[in-house]
Amino acid sequence: MLWVDKYRPKTLDKVTVHDQVAQNLKKLVAEQDCPHLLFYGPSGSGKKTLVMALIKQMFGAGADKVKMENKTWKIDTGSRNIEIELAMLSSAHHVEMNPSDAGFQDRYVVQEVIKEMAKNRPIDAKGKRAFKVLVLNEVDKLSREAQHSLRRTMEKYSASCRLILCCNSSSKVTEAVRSRCLNVRVNAPSEDQIVQVLEFIGKKENLQLPFGFAARIAAQSNRNLRRAILFFETCKVQQYPFTSNQVAPPLDWEQYVSEIAADIMKEQSPKRLFAVRQKFYELLVNCIPPESILKKLLAELLKKLDSDLKHEICHWAAHYEHKMRLGSKAIFHLEAFVAKFMSIYKEFLVSTFG
Amino acid sequence: MSSDIRKWFMKAQDKNGGAAKPAGTTALAKKPVLSIPEKPSAAPSMAACDQDCSARRKTSKYFASKTEKEEDTSAGKGTGRGLPKRKLQKVSDELEDDMKPLPAKEVHKEEEDDDDDDFVAPSKRKTPVKPPPSKKLKGASTAEAHGKTGLDDDNEDKMDEDAKTPSKASGSGRGRGRGRGRGGRGAGAAHGKTIGLDDDGEEDKMDEDAKTPSKAAGRGRGGASGGRGRGGGGRGFMNFGERKDPPHKGEKEVPEGAPDCLTGLTFVISGTLDSLEREEATDLIKRYGGRVTGSISKKTNYLLADEDVGGVKSNKAKELGVPFLTEDGLFDMIRKSKPAKATVAKHQSDKNSEKQQKSPMKSSPVKVERRDGNQITTGKNISPKSNKGSASIDNQKVNIVDRGSLQWTEKYRPKVPNDIVGNQSMVKQLHDWLRSWEDQFLHSGQKGKGKKQADSGAKKAVLLSGPPGIGKTTTAKVVSQMLGLQAIEVNASDSRGKADSKIEKGVGGSTSNSIKELISNATLNYSNNRLKRPKAVLVMDEVDGMSAGDRGGVADLIASIKMSKIPIICICNDRYSQKLKSLVNYCLLLNFRKPTKQQMGKRLMEIAKKEGLQAQENAMEELAERVHGDIRMALNHLQYMSLSQSVVKYDDIRQRLNSSTKDEDISPFTAVDKLFGFNGGRLRMDERIDLSMSDPDLVPLIIQENYINYRPITVGKDDSGVKRMNFLARAAESIADADIVNVQIRRYRQWQLSQAACLSSSIVPAALMHGNREILEAGERNFNRFGGWLGKYSTTNKNIRLLEDAHSHILASQQANLDRESLRLDYLTLLLRQLTDPLKTMPKDEAVQKVVEFMDTYSLSQEDFDTIVELSKFKGHPNPMDGIQPAVKSALTKAYKQGSSSRVVRAADLVNIPGMKKPLKKRVAAILEPVGESLPEENGVASSEGDEEDSSDAENNDELVPGDTKPKLDLQSDKKKGIQVQLDLKSNGNGLNSKKMPAGRSKASGSAGKAAGGSGGKRKR
Repeated sequence: MLWVDKYRPKTLDKVTVHDQVAQNLKKLVAEQDCPHLLFYGPSGSGKKTLVMALIKQMFGAGADKVKMENKTWKIDTGSRNIEIELAMLSSAHHVEMNPSDAGFQDRYVVQEVIKEMAKNRPIDAKGKRAFKVLVLNEVDKLSREAQHSLRRTMEKYSASCRLILCCNSSSKVTEAVRSRCLNVRVNAPSEDQIVQVLEFIGKKENLQLPFGFAARIAAQSNRNLRRAILFFETCKVQQYPFTSNQVAPPLDWEQYVSEIAADIMKEQSPKRLFAVRQKFYELLVNCIPPESILKKLLAELLKKLDSDLKHEICHWAAHYEHKMRLGSKAIFHLEAFVAKFMSIYKEFLVSTFG
Repeated sequence: MSSDIRKWFMKAQDKNGGAAKPAGTTALAKKPVLSIPEKPSAAPSMAACDQDCSARRKTSKYFASKTEKEEDTSAGKGTGRGLPKRKLQKVSDELEDDMKPLPAKEVHKEEEDDDDDDFVAPSKRKTPVKPPPSKKLKGASTAEAHGKTGLDDDNEDKMDEDAKTPSKASGSGRGRGRGRGRGGRGAGAAHGKTIGLDDDGEEDKMDEDAKTPSKAAGRGRGGASGGRGRGGGGRGFMNFGERKDPPHKGEKEVPEGAPDCLTGLTFVISGTLDSLEREEATDLIKRYGGRVTGSISKKTNYLLADEDVGGVKSNKAKELGVPFLTEDGLFDMIRKSKPAKATVAKHQSDKNSEKQQKSPMKSSPVKVERRDGNQITTGKNISPKSNKGSASIDNQKVNIVDRGSLQWTEKYRPKVPNDIVGNQSMVKQLHDWLRSWEDQFLHSGQKGKGKKQADSGAKKAVLLSGPPGIGKTTTAKVVSQMLGLQAIEVNASDSRGKADSKIEKGVGGSTSNSIKELISNATLNYSNNRLKRPKAVLVMDEVDGMSAGDRGGVADLIASIKMSKIPIICICNDRYSQKLKSLVNYCLLLNFRKPTKQQMGKRLMEIAKKEGLQAQENAMEELAERVHGDIRMALNHLQYMSLSQSVVKYDDIRQRLNSSTKDEDISPFTAVDKLFGFNGGRLRMDERIDLSMSDPDLVPLIIQENYINYRPITVGKDDSGVKRMNFLARAAESIADADIVNVQIRRYRQWQLSQAACLSSSIVPAALMHGNREILEAGERNFNRFGGWLGKYSTTNKNIRLLEDAHSHILASQQANLDRESLRLDYLTLLLRQLTDPLKTMPKDEAVQKVVEFMDTYSLSQEDFDTIVELSKFKGHPNPMDGIQPAVKSALTKAYKQGSSSRVVRAADLVNIPGMKKPLKKRVAAILEPVGESLPEENGVASSEGDEEDSSDAENNDELVPGDTKPKLDLQSDKKKGIQVQLDLKSNGNGLNSKKMPAGRSKASGSAGKAAGGSGGKRKR
């Protein structure tokens, strides 16, 4: 088992990084009622861990027995029947799913599936909890319509159902939904915290950590705890005992994106744009989310960019990221960004160096 | 310098063409006189010269002679075939009747035709045996006569030198040829203007003119058009596939001439013209009755070209001796015809008589006699030839039949097979098939199999296919009529569903049953008198329209074919239609093609004549072309036009059908080519919208794929490439916008935005980027690629599905709770390492065991392993599987397979029904006990068996597609047993796991049962 899973805290008590949040949650659950919750924070900060621990706290061990199924929902939208296949993870007390997987049909998922599940009261009335929990992941990826349908569901069935929403960015969740939830901000752990965790794992695994090794990994992980632990283990797989200057190999896709950035900086021509398009396709085909590509690409470009241009390029990156969300063919927007960048940068180079 | 010359030269042309007509004509008058005596001497020398010189030189000769020819000779055919004598004769015609060159031409044309058709032919036939040499000779001689009248050899040499020097300077062979051509032509024009001048002096001057500009411009294009045409710079040569704008677009006034002044002439246009666009020139020629063809043949009269591009056309023209004609020449031709608008026929006769008077001077008496004969036949022939378009009104003595009583399409429906336009071979085949049908299929039993099996008879039915309106139904009817068969037509207006099995119901009137009766009831047909019985043939029209209402129609039709005792003719538009796939196997396929426009034009002319409608032949051909071979449509148009007018001219057709052309599918590639083409900037907005709407899905994709490849012409000079990059960015931005609009359209059904979408997806990028295409990758073909997005999109989706599979397995293992994204972004690198690194570094058995253990922990399957490897591959990066020995791989597979029986989780989870490509609609819910807990779970399952069976049964009934049910049920019936077996294995194999058995086993099982029950309940919706 990977360390990242092996050392995941299973209960709220064991949570170390966000112990304050955990304690608050524990108190919240101790009382009978529990509001809808919205967990938000960058990826790798521990939202999911907190949620799972919270559910366990609520329902006890029963929540551990989950089953996973791929279900097809047939939905009559009036004009036609559509079928949606959704994977969900459910126990007796909770159901976890990812409604944004349904793509642009997510509103049907919310309108029909979630409503359906929210309507039914849990079976064991004698249990202490008279409600069940619906965990929705990636709420920020839900379309606007889906989010709007969600808020009705949240009000109407609040008696029998609690929603726990998880997302990276609360700004992409509509205000209406946010105001119906108790918002829980899960910060990215600080580097010190990450170092602590890594050292804890190292101790458990009986590893010798050279001085500064954990700190380096923490820095490399960009305050993403999950990534830090994964890096840590990668290093272990790569070479043990650790040497003092060992670095974790970069993630495959990040490396590829840096190559693209280097390409773009080196030459700004239609030919290069065409080559970059091919590389984008390569990334997309390998299931790298386009937002991550764009973000990473921008970070890489900013590293090498003249400071005069940074502001403008950031503006355009944000512009195209926004458009990417509105559109459906990510490659077009990625390409448009690169074309824009090339145009700006080339003009800059020509005007500066002639 | 050059501009001066141009001005001067333009004047010369103008005068020659328009104002100074008298002068011009006198010049013309003068030329032949001069040329006649000179010919004998000049011809040999020039012929020799021709041999010496390159093809370029020859062109130039033709260019030199061109002006003359177009003005004073008759149609190129005449000259082409012509003997010197004949030409002279014509020239002399011009002498006296130079104001009416057109009629002269006409006459010659007529003579030509007669030569072709008439009894005179044999005598004529001999002469063309040696046309090429004579032609060459003559071309040379005329050039000589024209360009160098009164010059001595010195001058000629000098001219050669002159022409050569600039070409050396410019270093381009073509430049040289053109320089000479232009020079020569200039000389011709100069002649027209300055008759009174001393020829020598004039020639010298011309030589200089020709020389200097070509030096200056380095283009070898003397005279008026020194800097015109292909723009400055050598780029024009490089891409001569591109057609530039006419250099003086719209600057010249297009002359008006007598209608039909070009009748009977065939033109081929090559290269860029001086002021007209290609299409305009085509229109102009057609308007005056000429024909424009795409490639040069013997029948071509002129090659219309303002410069010698040296392409295929001009080479061929030189080969065949087709004279060149400039645009100005064409204008002159048209202009001249104008005064001659009056009674054409009269002039013709006038001229002919004049010709007769003239001819004795220089041609042999025999010739004259022959001419006389022709003359007579010409006169006679005029009326039958009227469909050639010589719209002499008086000889159109046609009986004006009663109009409007009947639709023309019905009225002129062919009565005999020979009337059918085009597809005669198909008609014949159908005829043969029908004739032999009875022998083949009814009497084969009696007469034995010794009969010859023509392949066309092997099928019992026939399927005629082809676009609408080309006479399929008509063919079927006419042919059966001719064979004395009674055609029974059943078409889409009849219900053609599956017949009731009870035939008696059919008596009530269901068509399908009556068909059944018809085809099966042989006794009905076998009446007492065998000879006279009316045999029937069933014509199933529009079989591809058998749809919704006609349930089982095609299948029933096939059944009918099998048992039929009468021939069945099926007719459809699209043979490749999905619906007809099964039918095709039972039918003889006859594919009807669109008739050519000539075929149609002829037929339309006949009909127009019968209806008393005067029509130009090329008008009819244009009509035929506009309707894309749909005769029915053409007739309808014609009938409609006949209501308002009695003469149909080319322009009428053009005007009328301009907007209402029959829609034609253009491929998205063609559309993109046009949008991005060099002239893409000059398309009208509606044209662009039409182009991009021709396929609103594919065109944007192809544009997106290819816009990078274009070098926009609007950018102009752009050394650094900044501008181009800027344009690219704007185009990309617009394409990205289009994506957003598209989402609005598709997701929210805002179809009113589709114009905006096509604007920003196609038109804006095309407007920015149109220009030359260039290749970006070595070895790429310079054509637009198909949009790559679709392919990548589907690969992406496939990979996402695979990743989702792996993801759900990992979730199922309950070891990790992560989303798909972080699986890909964060986990994958380490997973890959864990999976492949041991295989690379550790000893085989150890490594395999380790990896299999790891896979089991996360319940990864072999496919997931492949997925992880596949998703980690990047082009240009080393393959993660490199360095793993094949032996190790196979050992891994083996080890994994061995262990697979003990994996409860997966055994339950991943039942794949054989033959199903997609993963099961709904996987049997995976019981996600960690491996160690499986044993207690066992008992739990056993105890709560009832529950679970029930619930899962319910699920199955609820949600499984019918096709899935059976295997699923099997699975279930085996379930108990299967699990037990697995458990045995497990306890044997992973005995140590059992110690992990959780204390709360009953609780666990209970909760599992509950979970199942709960979810079962939930699932029942």
